[in-house]
Amino acid sequence: MTLLDWAILVARVALPALILPGIVIPLVWYERRFAAFIQDRPGPNRVGPFGLLQSPADILKLFMKEDVIPAAADRLLFLLAPAFAVFSALATFAVIPYGATLRVAGRDIPLLGADVSIGVLYLFAISSLSVYAIVLAGWSSNNKFSLMGGIRSSAQLISYELAMTTAAAGVILAASSFRLPDIVGTQQETWLGIIPKWNVFLQPLGFLIFFIATFAETNRLPFDLPEAEAELVAGYHTEYSAMHFGSFFLAEYINVIVASALTVTLYLGGWSLPGFDPRGVIGVILSLLVFAAKTAFLVSVFVWVRWTLPRFRYDQLMALGWKVFLPLALVNLFWAAVLELWRAR
Amino acid sequence: MARIVFDSAAVLTIVFAAVMVLSRHPVKGVLSVVVSFFFLAVAYVLLAAPFIAAIQVIVYAGAILVLFLFVLMLLNIRLEEVETDTRPIQRVLGGGAILLFTILLVTLLSARGAPKAVDQALATPSSGAIEPVARFVFSEYLLPFEALSVLLLAALVGAFVLVSREKRP
Repeated sequence: MTLLDWAILVARVALPALILPGIVIPLVWYERRFAAFIQDRPGPNRVGPFGLLQSPADILKLFMKEDVIPAAADRLLFLLAPAFAVFSALATFAVIPYGATLRVAGRDIPLLGADVSIGVLYLFAISSLSVYAIVLAGWSSNNKFSLMGGIRSSAQLISYELAMTTAAAGVILAASSFRLPDIVGTQQETWLGIIPKWNVFLQPLGFLIFFIATFAETNRLPFDLPEAEAELVAGYHTEYSAMHFGSFFLAEYINVIVASALTVTLYLGGWSLPGFDPRGVIGVILSLLVFAAKTAFLVSVFVWVRWTLPRFRYDQLMALGWKVFLPLALVNLFWAAVLELWRAR
Repeated sequence: MARIVFDSAAVLTIVFAAVMVLSRHPVKGVLSVVVSFFFLAVAYVLLAAPFIAAIQVIVYAGAILVLFLFVLMLLNIRLEEVETDTRPIQRVLGGGAILLFTILLVTLLSARGAPKAVDQALATPSSGAIEPVARFVFSEYLLPFEALSVLLLAALVGAFVLVSREKRP
């Protein structure tokens, strides 16, 4: 590999890793303004134009605050947990293709961090490890509310991971590949030239299960039981202050973006649009914008749902995951197999 | 390069397995198994088996050990108590097992061609293909595969029966 190859590789990997935390700053403002709109109040509008500087001010505050570590906490694990939360949130994005392949000076640059043959499995591996951040934070704090949050989180994530992976198995079956670029590739055909052959139209049930399960995986309402403030103070991050709390906050929002991006890739055709053929630099930039627009739409749905639905009770959460989503995901897998057989006929 | 990463992954796997055995703290024991399994997955990736590596992380590190941790935290088990040695025969047998294992390991490692085998495996270009695995599992080894799933089902039903029997008045 030449120096240029290395530079391109570093750029491919580093750009999303740098941009994602950057997007979180306006995203927090966006969520608060959206919430205010839903609840018919102005929202943060004092700091800067339209309150846009509210989030940077908040982050500055988080950096300046005193960082308290409880005396009875397990110091090493207490400090490791928030770092691991951010790591697992960022590492997930590495295999998601965020744009069409760029052709410059005779070289093909695929716009994704790493093109691995087990793409989807890598995603599930990292997201299944992300539970450790919450569980360790809950346990190492030596606080009963934190511990309850951690215990809930481990049960919740395992339960919904099953439904999520089973739903995604339908997509893998349709694409006959674990590679995410292949999954985007199979969704580029159209019916009658207008309606795109996205997996959301082929497997609507699978899309619903997957998308709802991502709410549980990212601990967002209506599934934010690990931090249910009415019962658990703040759940697993009760004892965290200053930027250690900020890390969990950051990880949650990155997780929301990554979950949306993943849903876009698996079910909404990734960066593709019907009749859109990305050529040259401008085409690739347009494909990036298409991907960003679709992801932004799903992030808005996350915010919208948060301020619309109340929180589930713990037994409802478990019953929904095991008795409704898992069987329905199996039905979806069967449906995907039928579709595949019908197409092969 | 690959050899250095493989060797360090292998050493770290063993080191964290040892930490698991020696640690008096159950939660830290489970965590060191997680780290150990993670480095084992790294070794699998270098041996051109990314599928096995992913399954290793998803199933063992991501699901089974989380359940272990869940139970430990639910029961809130603190430090393991130092048991008084009531069965000295265990020490003797344990020492014998360690001796036997060491002899086997040394014989294996000193066998001709053993050091080269790792280099050869690392030099094999990684295709990362999953199709060959699937083909084997669903054709030649279909019967053992299905038998395993029935075995797991039996365990599941067994656990259910055990729990529901306790609830009855």
